[in-house]
Amino acid sequence: MTRPEMTKGTNMSMNKSVRRVILLASLAAGVASLAMAHHSYAAFDVTTERVIVGSIKKFDWSNPHTWAWIDVPNEQGGVDTWGVEGMSPNYLARRGWSRTTLKPGDKITVTIRPMKDGSKGGMWVTAKRPNGEILLMGGTITDP
Amino acid sequence: MQSPRQIVLGFLTASLAFAAVASAQSAGQRVVRKAPTAADWEAIAKLPDFTGVWEAGGGGGGGGRGAAPAAAQGAAPAAGARGPAAAGAPAAGAQGAAPATAGARGGGRAGGRGRGGAGRGGPSLTPEYAAKAKATPPPTAEENLTANCLPPGLPGIMTQPYPYEFLLTPGQVTIISEAYTEVRHIYTDGRPLPEDPDPNFYGTSVGHWDGNTLVVDTVGFAQVPRGLNFPYSDKLKVTERFQLTDPDTMSIETTVTDPLALTMPYSMGTRSLRRHRNWTIAEYICEENNRNGVDENGKARINLANPEASPK
Repeated sequence: MTRPEMTKGTNMSMNKSVRRVILLASLAAGVASLAMAHHSYAAFDVTTERVIVGSIKKFDWSNPHTWAWIDVPNEQGGVDTWGVEGMSPNYLARRGWSRTTLKPGDKITVTIRPMKDGSKGGMWVTAKRPNGEILLMGGTITDP
Repeated sequence: MQSPRQIVLGFLTASLAFAAVASAQSAGQRVVRKAPTAADWEAIAKLPDFTGVWEAGGGGGGGGRGAAPAAAQGAAPAAGARGPAAAGAPAAGAQGAAPATAGARGGGRAGGRGRGGAGRGGPSLTPEYAAKAKATPPPTAEENLTANCLPPGLPGIMTQPYPYEFLLTPGQVTIISEAYTEVRHIYTDGRPLPEDPDPNFYGTSVGHWDGNTLVVDTVGFAQVPRGLNFPYSDKLKVTERFQLTDPDTMSIETTVTDPLALTMPYSMGTRSLRRHRNWTIAEYICEENNRNGVDENGKARINLANPEASPK
């Protein structure tokens, strides 16, 4: 099993870094695809992935799922807000996440399982910050 | 001499008192619980230590570190599949899929065995209930009521990927499920199972200690999603055997009987939970911000409207 490892962010203290879920990209590719706890995947097209690039508008640290709202520039020169469903706070909190892991304005590239109906939403698969940090919603329990 | 008003009041009071007693009698056994003594607490201390927070999924169930993502991933297909998973589906994390996942990871014992309802280990239905099963196809993933935050009943509540907290007090074992923030009360004060319980999600549970094993029998089940992939009657009974297999590992063996629906006891296998000594149970109010539910037509829907309306 690939061993998860913390990224050494340039201006991140170790303490800060351990509070983040940062795993090897190889792990991300291998296991993150459906690391999603939910009752209904039916609205998502789990056979495909789509990448959206934007900035965090809002992060709902809520049950039964977190929602990351992401402002994504569109081809018309405007901005669309995408909603990306993620794991629940209890699950994420044991894996290094907190309600401030995603802050408004954070630049982010998110891989999602898109909505089947083409609306602007999806299910979180993995994400990457400009500094290379990978944000998975699965992963090793960091609080044993 | 009593005034008419006093007479009426007296009559009303007597009527209410009678009604209360009658109600208590019709409800079956009422157990008066005595204040626990020091000896009662000492007896608790001699029991196997079940206290604390336990989890099968999420890397705790014996799967070792790093197993969590794989587990969650494995859960997904089952969650979307028809059959048992869909029926018991917990919002918490993958439906009835969780059990299979947990079993597979948590020691690989029987968690997944029989869950498919097919092949070896599946429930053996009586002709009447086999016909019912045939007439009623299992709910699809989209027909999953737990998507709208209805919790799964027993045994589905015990197959969640989220942790459980066990509390041992004189006369009672209490299990708190983080998924859906649900509570099970298991009475260990020697009372019998109720004869005609009101059916509900978790039934009525009584337990006793068989050596170091807590044996829990539960009866009184309503027809609600509970992670069973076959039709069952009001005679359904769930028996669980809880024991420590090492100081921080608990196994739960679950067997279902139903004299009307099953020709033989149906083993749902053994699930393994791992104790996390520095965990606490988190809040999980499913109704808080459920944007992923099922509409009145049974279709999954995602509400992407008005992000600002989310509570957090």
